[in-house]
Amino acid sequence: MVREEAAGLYASLTGHVLLLAALTYGVLLLPKPPLASPEPMEVSFVDEVSLVSASPTPQAVPAPSAAPQLGPVEEAAPSPAPVAAPTPAPPRPALTLRPATPQKPPDARDRRRPEESRQGRAQQSRGARLADLNLDGLGRDTPPSRANQAPGAVMNAQAAANIAQAITRQVQPCADRQVYPGPGAERIVTSLALSLNPDGSLRGRPRMTGQRGVDDENRRYAQRVADLAINAFVSCSPLRGLPRELYDVPRGWSNFTMNYRLPA
Amino acid sequence: MRMNQVRIATIIAAVLGLTLPGVALAQGQPAEVQPPPPTQPGNDDQLVVDVTGGQRAALPIAVPYMPTPAEAETPAGGTGTLGRQVAEIVAADLRNSGLFTPIGPSGLPNVSYPQVSAPDYGAFSATGAQNLIQGFVQANPDGRLTVGCYVYDVAGQSQLARQGFVVSPRDWRRAAHRCADSIFSRLTGEGGYFDTRIVYVSETGPARRRIKRLAIMDYDGANHRFLTNGQWTVLTPRFAPNQQTITYMTYENERPRVMLYTLDSGQSRPLIQTPNMTFAPRYSPDSRYIIFSMAVNGNTDVYRVAVAGGTPQRLTNSPGIDTGGSYSPDGSRIVFESDRGGSQQLYVMDADGSNQRRISFGGGGYGTPVWSPRGDLIAFTKTGGFRIGVMAPDGSSERILTGGSFAEGPTWAPNGRAVMFTRGASQGQLWYVDVASGATRRVPTPLGGSDPAWSPLRD
Repeated sequence: MVREEAAGLYASLTGHVLLLAALTYGVLLLPKPPLASPEPMEVSFVDEVSLVSASPTPQAVPAPSAAPQLGPVEEAAPSPAPVAAPTPAPPRPALTLRPATPQKPPDARDRRRPEESRQGRAQQSRGARLADLNLDGLGRDTPPSRANQAPGAVMNAQAAANIAQAITRQVQPCADRQVYPGPGAERIVTSLALSLNPDGSLRGRPRMTGQRGVDDENRRYAQRVADLAINAFVSCSPLRGLPRELYDVPRGWSNFTMNYRLPA
Repeated sequence: MRMNQVRIATIIAAVLGLTLPGVALAQGQPAEVQPPPPTQPGNDDQLVVDVTGGQRAALPIAVPYMPTPAEAETPAGGTGTLGRQVAEIVAADLRNSGLFTPIGPSGLPNVSYPQVSAPDYGAFSATGAQNLIQGFVQANPDGRLTVGCYVYDVAGQSQLARQGFVVSPRDWRRAAHRCADSIFSRLTGEGGYFDTRIVYVSETGPARRRIKRLAIMDYDGANHRFLTNGQWTVLTPRFAPNQQTITYMTYENERPRVMLYTLDSGQSRPLIQTPNMTFAPRYSPDSRYIIFSMAVNGNTDVYRVAVAGGTPQRLTNSPGIDTGGSYSPDGSRIVFESDRGGSQQLYVMDADGSNQRRISFGGGGYGTPVWSPRGDLIAFTKTGGFRIGVMAPDGSSERILTGGSFAEGPTWAPNGRAVMFTRGASQGQLWYVDVASGATRRVPTPLGGSDPAWSPLRD
């Protein structure tokens, strides 16, 4: 090391020591920031949950697996046997002019209700597709997966009102076509239990769960008003445009009650 | 916090109640919405929708021609032809009621025999019909006919009712009426009235030499025949509830008296042997008694006598004219008209004549009261203006059913839903009116007609 280099090194070290000392002194001279004191928070304990939960369902049914399996491919369900032509059997002969209930036509036809038959066909074709794709483990009765729902989908009061309004709007034209059977029928309120598919179609025939307003004067019309209630809904089925995310939530539109009455 | 939740729920409910009439929620619903019945399961956690709708109009209903499984000749014609005629009668009956608008039979798709129990709903939904009537006519090996009758809901694609009727060929029209009755009953909730008959006074000739004969026919005017030859004027025929006899008044030998006519034999006999004038007869509901009016020493009262004979029992005793008695359907009371108060008014009494009380208090007079088969109404002629009206048995809820021209002499259909009457003072016609809807329909008669009496449903 030459003399000039040693002098430079010495000067550099001295400068750094002085700079460090100056910075340390400056920091010590800064004022200390005040410590934030925590605000007191009121905590109350409740024993009831809110009207509806706003959090996503924590344990949603997992989405169905689409991965192919290695097992053997199952055969699709066979197509239904050819439908035999129905033959109405004549009523039992009677000796006098009295009502004779015609016997049910002996046919091999599927006697289920049309919507049930349609549903059955739909399930059957679905089963065939499943077999083709070999998706074992996806049962026919697997409920719609909630994992497909929008997170946080809830049927709050406003949403329920909107859906009820949408249903009423669609059923109203068919309700208006129902014909008033007679005096006092307008006092009868018929309650129907309705089950819908996600596409808005009926899942089974509407079921009457009760009637109120029936009295001695209008009792003769009770069955007819029940007919009208069912006809009003069925005639305007399937429903359209209902939010899919609110189909299978608590108080969703998958199952609901319709109260029908004739206008006064 | 809990109070806040309650308040918010209340506000939401109030807003919904104000802005969404007809829509109610299971939770937080407004007070004016009645809760569902307690038997309904799961309503607390279900969406609830209220729908109110309907119209007071005739029900569109499709009635296609009825096929036959095998064409066969019968004394009434071929079964194929009968199938067409039965459908036409069913459609006419439903149209006559004023409560239906039949579509067809002409113009509708043909129905094959297998389709009778498996309808092609799509073919009929385009017609706008809410209900569909199908049926068939079949000749049986024993020579009789079977008429099958099916009621379907077009939108619901479901069968609502079915019935079959086995008749002799000559009664094929009755089978059609019975089919229509079963349809009417299923779709209105009321009993039917198409398989019934009318006995009435057939009138012809100038007013001063009018020939009045008893006549009987089906309710729609078919199978018409005369029961008397017109030698003597007849009035006020009434069917016995058992339909075996008819009572009426005749001026035989210028002597007004009540007669009994036996339908099987075609023979008539006086109800009672008396020199006094007897008139205005009517049967008790059990067909065992007849109440009638008898003028004795210038005073007319209501009497009762057994059809089999005996001494008449006097039921009223006021000065003036008491007449036009009609039993309540349970036989416990009688409505009649009387001028005891100075004008012709309606009174009700117990069947033994006790507890007589006035029930009509409107302007003008009231006459010819008839108690409804249901017991809920009394039909009458309002003599001021001659209109047909009804009122409750206590005199309340009076309303007039007919307007316009002269009308009098009501008679009830067996279901208590329709009233037939005479319209026109000079040349009478028979009309009937649906009490609920006010729809009227004329009954065809070969000549003029008055004083109709509607039979019960035939056995």
